[in-house]
Order: sequence, then structure tokens, then C-alpha cells
Amino acid sequence: MITPWHFLAVGAVLFGLGLVGFLTRRNLITAFLCAELMLQGVVLNLLAFGKMHGHLGGQVFALFILTVAACEAGLALALFLTLYRKHKTLDATEWQQAREGGLPETRDVDPLPAVAAADYPTLHPAGVRPAEEPLRV
Amino acid sequence: MSAPFDHPLPGISPAWQVVAGVALGVAGIACLLPRPRHRFIAVGTFLTFASAVVLGLFVATTFGGPSRESLDDRIYAGLFWLFASVAVSFSVVMVAQRNPARGAMAFAVSVLATCGLFLLLAAPFLMAATVVVYAGATIVTFLFVLMLSQGGGPSDENDRTREPLLGSVGGLGFAGLVLFSLYLGSPARGTADYPQPPEPVTAGEARVLREAGLNLRGENAAQARGELSRLQVVVGSADGPGTVQQRLRGVAGGRAVDLVHRAEVLREQVRQANEALDRAAAGDDARAKLTAAGDSAFVLSGAGELPARNVAGIGYLLYSEHLLAVELAGTLLLVATVGAVAVAGRRRQA
Repeated sequence: MITPWHFLAVGAVLFGLGLVGFLTRRNLITAFLCAELMLQGVVLNLLAFGKMHGHLGGQVFALFILTVAACEAGLALALFLTLYRKHKTLDATEWQQAREGGLPETRDVDPLPAVAAADYPTLHPAGVRPAEEPLRV
Repeated sequence: MSAPFDHPLPGISPAWQVVAGVALGVAGIACLLPRPRHRFIAVGTFLTFASAVVLGLFVATTFGGPSRESLDDRIYAGLFWLFASVAVSFSVVMVAQRNPARGAMAFAVSVLATCGLFLLLAAPFLMAATVVVYAGATIVTFLFVLMLSQGGGPSDENDRTREPLLGSVGGLGFAGLVLFSLYLGSPARGTADYPQPPEPVTAGEARVLREAGLNLRGENAAQARGELSRLQVVVGSADGPGTVQQRLRGVAGGRAVDLVHRAEVLREQVRQANEALDRAAAGDDARAKLTAAGDSAFVLSGAGELPARNVAGIGYLLYSEHLLAVELAGTLLLVATVGAVAVAGRRRQA
């Protein structure tokens, strides 16, 4: 039978996966989605305990968490847009002068794989080539 | 799961099961995280799948409670494992996917599966709210911002990760620690009991409390006195404790303590209502006290159950006990909207 501990375990795993993504990914938006994943794990915990105690307080608290997450998403997107306008990139490493003092700078050693222009697909133009001279009306 | 059996493999303690699962998961996710060279997708997928199987077996065997072998239980268990596996696997896809738009879609599927779990936890309103707010609004807004600010092809932010091995160790190590402490506090180790289905208020008591809640509106003094005396049997009077207190006194656990406290509050309200009836025969004072006692009785009648009318229950709780929090949440939303417009509103005219 499924006990509240099952749901608590799933919540813990979701939280851990979100933590992994938030710590490692450099794209601001992907990192933020991983933070939202952590919130989902927390909400699962709250609901499992709410059901265990037969009390709606868990669901009410989860509703407030949803509200705060929505506010957080709006403000985060506003910040990301502002940061993108400054440096034209969503890379968190671009802002590393704000890192903690005493930590070494992140340098990218391996080069990125280059994509040749010929990789992009080309289409044959469809239809009939229009006449060179405009029609005289 | 027919009966709680200890371990699928005899001799492997739960601690080592968790360690093995976490180690496999760390290796798998560290292989899967995007990097320009040495990204082993097939090996990483296999290791992550193995880790999910090990941890799933650990959860299934350690926490499996006594089953009634009914069809409902089996369907519940099947749905739980389906939603849980979809949620966890698409979360792994989102964390390890280099394309952020595909990662956002994987996150949407993971949110949908988590909403399935919400439904299994008797929270249909929260399921609908999460689908609308997360999968509907948040992810669509993120996709819009992504499309505004993404170039094609490999880029620094998509193809590199910061400290993949240490990050995986940190995140999955934390999850493993939580899983192990769940095991330490679970019935498998004898430190807790399986949570009994909540029945803190018996059917007879619930009927009395519900009728009192509906009828105590202060019109008929004699009827009110009758209801109050029936309530005194349930929650006690100056003479002695009621049936609720007698049954729950000495029962350990926050739920029982909370119920005894609420019964005591209702006992006090019944005493005050009786006094008000004695003082002024049909005055407003008596009506207010009677209505208060009736409301408390009505709430107490449903204690220990999640109400079938989920939205009405949440609404009642929000606007009675958490009114200040609701107002603050509204203010927070307003402030966040103003702040978002202020931060990202206007392009610099320069």
C-alpha cells in the first residue's frame, strides 16, 4: 500500500534533481526551471503530510507557495530580460565578477563544436520563377 | 506489494541500497550533463535508469505498508508508480537536456505528472491550479523569453555546465540523505507506526456536531439549549470531559492533541453560550455566541477527514484562519507586478 513515505521519497528525489540542475546549469532560464522543480518537491511533501493528518492546512500552504512561485517567476523573467539587454547572452558566467571573493574565475577550456553553414538544410524554391520585367498595365 | 518484506536481496542493508542508488545516479547524471566533449549519453542513460530502479526498489520494499489487497489499493499503487516514474524521468531529461526549449517541455510533462500525484493526495484544486499556473503560464512565459533571447547552435550557456560531478554529488547526496532519514523514521525501523486512517471523530459524534452546527442559529432558545446539552455530551461540560476527550486523551501525536484542544475550545464556547442564554433570553449576545459554537461544532465534525468539497474547504480555511496571509499574498502579487514592470519595462533611450 502506498504510504505517505512514498510521496515524501518522490518529493526528496525531485528536490535533489532540481538542486543538481540549479547548481550546474549555466543558462539562466534552465537554472530557474530547476528551482521551480525544487518547489514541486516541497509541495509534494506538504500535501503528503496534509493527507496524513487529514487537515487542509497542507494544501493551503501549498497554495501560498504557488502564489510566491508565480511572483518569483515574473520578477526573475524581468531580471533575465534586463541582463540579456546588457550583454546579449543568457549565460550566468557572463556575470561572474559578482562571484564570491577568493574563488577562481571560470574559464572555458574546451572549444564548442562548430556548426558549418552547410549543415543547415536548403529548400528548392517552389513555384514558377516570376518574369523579369514588370507587367505593363 | 502483498506484505512488507524487508529487502529484496538478503543482507543488503537499506543504507547500502541508498548509497548504491545515489552513486549510480551521480555517475549517470554526471555523464548526461552537457559538455563539449566526453558527454556519454548512452552510458549515462543506462546508469541513471539503474539508479532509478535501485532507489525505486528501496522505496517500494522499505516503506510498503500493510495492504488490503483490494482493487482500489492496486489501482492507487499503479497510478502512483506511473506518475512518480514519469515525473522523475522527465525531471532528469530537463536537467540534462542541452536545448532549453526541450528542457522546458520536459519540465511541463514533469509538472503534469506531479499534478497526477497531487490528485492521488486528494488535492484536486491544487492540481488544477498548478496545471494552470505552472504548465500554463510560467512555462509559456519562459518559452517566450527563450525565443526572444536564443540564438541557434551550440552556445556557452547550453553546452557547458559548472562542476558537473560535484554538483551531482551535492544534489543527489542530499536526496540520498533525505531518503535515508526517511527510512530511519519509518515503520520499517520500528520508530513510527503506520499512520492509521484518520477517524478521530466517530460517526455518532460527527452527526451530533453537524446537527448542532446547522441548528444553532439562535432562533429558538429551547431548541438551542437541547443542542447545547447534546454537545456537552460530546465535548464535555463543567461536570466532566466529553467522549472526544475521553477517547483521545493520552493518544500521542499532534493530530490528537489538536483535536483535544479544539474540543476544549468548543466546550468553553458551549459554556459561554449557555451563560448568554441564561442572561438575556433573546438578545443578540446569545445569538452571536450560539453561532460561534455552532460553527466550531461544524468544523469539528469534519476533523480528521479531507472534505469531499475540496474547494469549499480550502476557501473556508483560507478566509477564516489565514485571512491575513491571503491579503499579504495579494499585496505580494501586486508588488511583484509593479517591480517586474519597473525592472524590465522601458528600454533605455540612449
